[in-house]
Amino acid sequence: MNLPLAAIWGQDPGSGALIGYLVGAFILGVVMMVAMTKMPTRGRKPSVWIATFASGFFYFLFWIWPSPINRGPSDLPVGFSEKVGFGLQDALPKVANIAIILTAFLLGLGIYSLLHVHLGRLFKKQKDWQFSLILVVSMVLMIIFGYWDWMQRQFNDPDLLLAKMDNWGFVNYSFDLLFDGLLQQMDAAMFSMIAFFILSAAYRAFRIKSIEATVLMASALIMILSIMGAVDMVYSNMIDSMTGGDPGHFLNDAKITAVASWVKNTMQVPALRALEFGVGLGALAMGLRLWLGLEKGGVS
Amino acid sequence: MQYLDTAWIGVAVTLVMVAFVLLNIVRARGKEGGLYIRRIPGLNALDDAIGRATEMGRPVLMIPGIGTLNAISVQALSIFAHVTKSAAQFSTPIKICCADAAVYTVAQEVIRDVYQTQGMGDRYNEDFVQFVSDRQFAFAAGVSGIIHREKVAAAFLLGEFYAESLIFAETCNSVGAIQVAGSTHNTQTPFFIAACDYVLIGDEFYAASAYLKREPVLVGSLVGQDWGKMLIAAMCLLGCFIFSIDMTSAPTTKRVTVGEENGTSLVEFQAVDDSDNMEDGSLRKKRSSDTALHHYFHPVVSPGAFQDRNRPQKEEEGS
Amino acid sequence: MSENLSIWEKMQSFDRRWLYLVLIVLVTFGLFVSPDIPAQPDESSVGLYVTLDGLDENDTILIQSDWTNSTRGETLGHLEALLRTVMAKRIKFVMYTFADPQAPQVSRDALRRLNDELPEDKRYKLGIDYLELGYFPNAEGATQSLGNNIRTFWEGRKTRVEGNGGDEMDIFRTPVLENIQKLEDCGMICVVTPSNTIDIAVERLSGKLPICCMCTGVVGPQILPYYNAGQVAGLAIGLKGVYDMEMMMAGGLNLDKADYPNSVRSDKYSENKALPVVSPIEGKSSADYSLGRGKKYYAALNIALALMVLAVIAGNIGMYAAKRRERNA
Repeated sequence: MNLPLAAIWGQDPGSGALIGYLVGAFILGVVMMVAMTKMPTRGRKPSVWIATFASGFFYFLFWIWPSPINRGPSDLPVGFSEKVGFGLQDALPKVANIAIILTAFLLGLGIYSLLHVHLGRLFKKQKDWQFSLILVVSMVLMIIFGYWDWMQRQFNDPDLLLAKMDNWGFVNYSFDLLFDGLLQQMDAAMFSMIAFFILSAAYRAFRIKSIEATVLMASALIMILSIMGAVDMVYSNMIDSMTGGDPGHFLNDAKITAVASWVKNTMQVPALRALEFGVGLGALAMGLRLWLGLEKGGVS
Repeated sequence: MQYLDTAWIGVAVTLVMVAFVLLNIVRARGKEGGLYIRRIPGLNALDDAIGRATEMGRPVLMIPGIGTLNAISVQALSIFAHVTKSAAQFSTPIKICCADAAVYTVAQEVIRDVYQTQGMGDRYNEDFVQFVSDRQFAFAAGVSGIIHREKVAAAFLLGEFYAESLIFAETCNSVGAIQVAGSTHNTQTPFFIAACDYVLIGDEFYAASAYLKREPVLVGSLVGQDWGKMLIAAMCLLGCFIFSIDMTSAPTTKRVTVGEENGTSLVEFQAVDDSDNMEDGSLRKKRSSDTALHHYFHPVVSPGAFQDRNRPQKEEEGS
Repeated sequence: MSENLSIWEKMQSFDRRWLYLVLIVLVTFGLFVSPDIPAQPDESSVGLYVTLDGLDENDTILIQSDWTNSTRGETLGHLEALLRTVMAKRIKFVMYTFADPQAPQVSRDALRRLNDELPEDKRYKLGIDYLELGYFPNAEGATQSLGNNIRTFWEGRKTRVEGNGGDEMDIFRTPVLENIQKLEDCGMICVVTPSNTIDIAVERLSGKLPICCMCTGVVGPQILPYYNAGQVAGLAIGLKGVYDMEMMMAGGLNLDKADYPNSVRSDKYSENKALPVVSPIEGKSSADYSLGRGKKYYAALNIALALMVLAVIAGNIGMYAAKRRERNA
């Protein structure tokens, strides 16, 4: 079944009709945004709930309706149930795209917040305004060079010459410096700092203060030793020399990897599963309350 | 084409759990005094932390994780609304740092709403809620800077956290802030336990708003979740029991792959014969794949059997 | 009196920056020496190698590369080990990300480096041997759409084809995807991730095709329940996972030690035998081709872990000494 909306999302890229639809959708989006902002709170809440319910209802229907599997590309539906099933399946990527587009709109608001805070601090010369200046300059540079580099690769490089560094120009080197030379390396530096924090946290936390803390420390040590190949192999060879290499000998269960596997599979995994059940049920109940508009105050 | 008709049990169990939640919401609304829920120690610390921040005249920091707008971040904002309510009463400054534009937008609405309903709309400052960055470690660096510069007195780290969790926790620790943390991502909970003062573990995170607000809808929903957990536990025990009994009997059938169609293995069941015996002639032991439960959850797949050869087809488009 | 304190007790209150300095020095030392450290691969890593070994030449697989440079210590090694295996076996692949806009660039860079190592005739060509589809936001919705119907999800998407001028071609007309009608036709999906995108893949794609994962050490425990339940066919966790993969690529799995002295043994997968990967570079042995970042970083990992064990032991002795002093006082 072709949903009527398919006429909108089925337009060819670059066609006049598609551009028309895009402009129309943009104007409609802006009008709706302004209308929602101006709407009194009493009217806003039902509108938000209706939108929430409608969006949730699509996914609910998708989940509960019999879904065609092994569907061939040219199969046609038979009967009402299949028509709806086919329609839901075809509409899914488009509905998912709506969420992406909304997020893109909201990103604009995020950038507004960022600039509002930092430009304000900059112009008023508030405390630490220098950091704000660095932030704004970095942001502008990254946008300019990122877009410029993308334009070159997308439209001025039919033979994919820019895949090789030898063919790079000023723009490509600048973008590489900003992206790979600075951003990526700073990201990596932040991540590697965790190693120091883990070391000091372990030094503080793994103390034999109580039975629970002792169990925690013992299991942590078993895990650490099981990853240390050299220690594991020396100890395993010792066990092997005691068992004479007999794979059925009970002492094999004392190897570090065997003990670590036991701890992981018998202790950790079931505990994690139980926690996941709880978390999943919590998310289900939360989703249900939001979808049906049962929650009062706070977020809704 | 075929329909996935063996998955009905998953849908049925989920619907039963939904029914549990809705039923208990109705029960809680009807029952005077509300349903009983136990105390969560981590949540008692919320008001202590705000009180400490008020005494010290330093801000309260709240971070709803780095996830997108979903049930987890909405739940975090719901708890933050409660924290903000207390902070607003004492005029304690707050700071909410967001890593997602959608979460930022909702957070701003929620916090403004809290100030307005408390009759303190004039004390609300747009900079209370700030979008820092949607890049994970840029966000971590930005928030660490805020923690150091503003010397926060209390930090609430609730939501979806990943590797940055320990950076926040240790940085807060270094400025002497009280920390209340909770993440639905179990891999981060150990880090929080090592570095934070109070931690909400697993679904305590979802139980928090019910405990704080005591509204019938929230309390009923929490009791419904517990019923769901009991159902899961009962199913685990039942499955364990059936499986154990089944494994003690001799095998009668085996799964055999008989061919392939469109890349999918065709499987059928055959009776166990002498060729399956052990080397010493004794009957082989039952494998877990011979049990009824395994058969139930691993249905025989034979696409050809379900293929509708007479299905109408679209006309070929010119290529 | 502080001068009477034992060294253990003094260590209780020393500046933690000293600990950081020791860590930096030792790990840096570990990076410059890369000895052959014997190790037993995790069974979950073996599962991944066995799944890869089961693929045939010209099969198409999906590589969901969701990492960025911040976790490259682990995930770059993962992707390189995966790509080296895939490229040696001439398996076609589609690479994309559902997690991060930076991810396509870093995986593209990694692929370019590996491709440059290969002789001209064995290089992977865009649009012919592999596709690079970039970033798709909204991991939850995108994964659901992919599982729902791969053809409609990537409908209308075009790619450059190497050696075809600047013309673009529909991805489903390229040799990589022309035989893929539905997701089940793909050989497997491997998610290289430091985040929860693997959870989403398991939730949305289970039962459709073999799912494998290469994840950071922190995320590993979260995925283990899926591996134990069979929902994830193979799982390489952290740096040890990289080293496990490299050992199997270099030495093979469950082979006769007389012919393959470096072959590793697995109890869980004792019925599976897998040969080492055949190096596509003339003059390079399997070991030379396979051993990379895993081997290089494994010594540093061992040293860091040893330091952590020593720190924990020292902390406990110090605490015990302080308690004893209090008791005696």
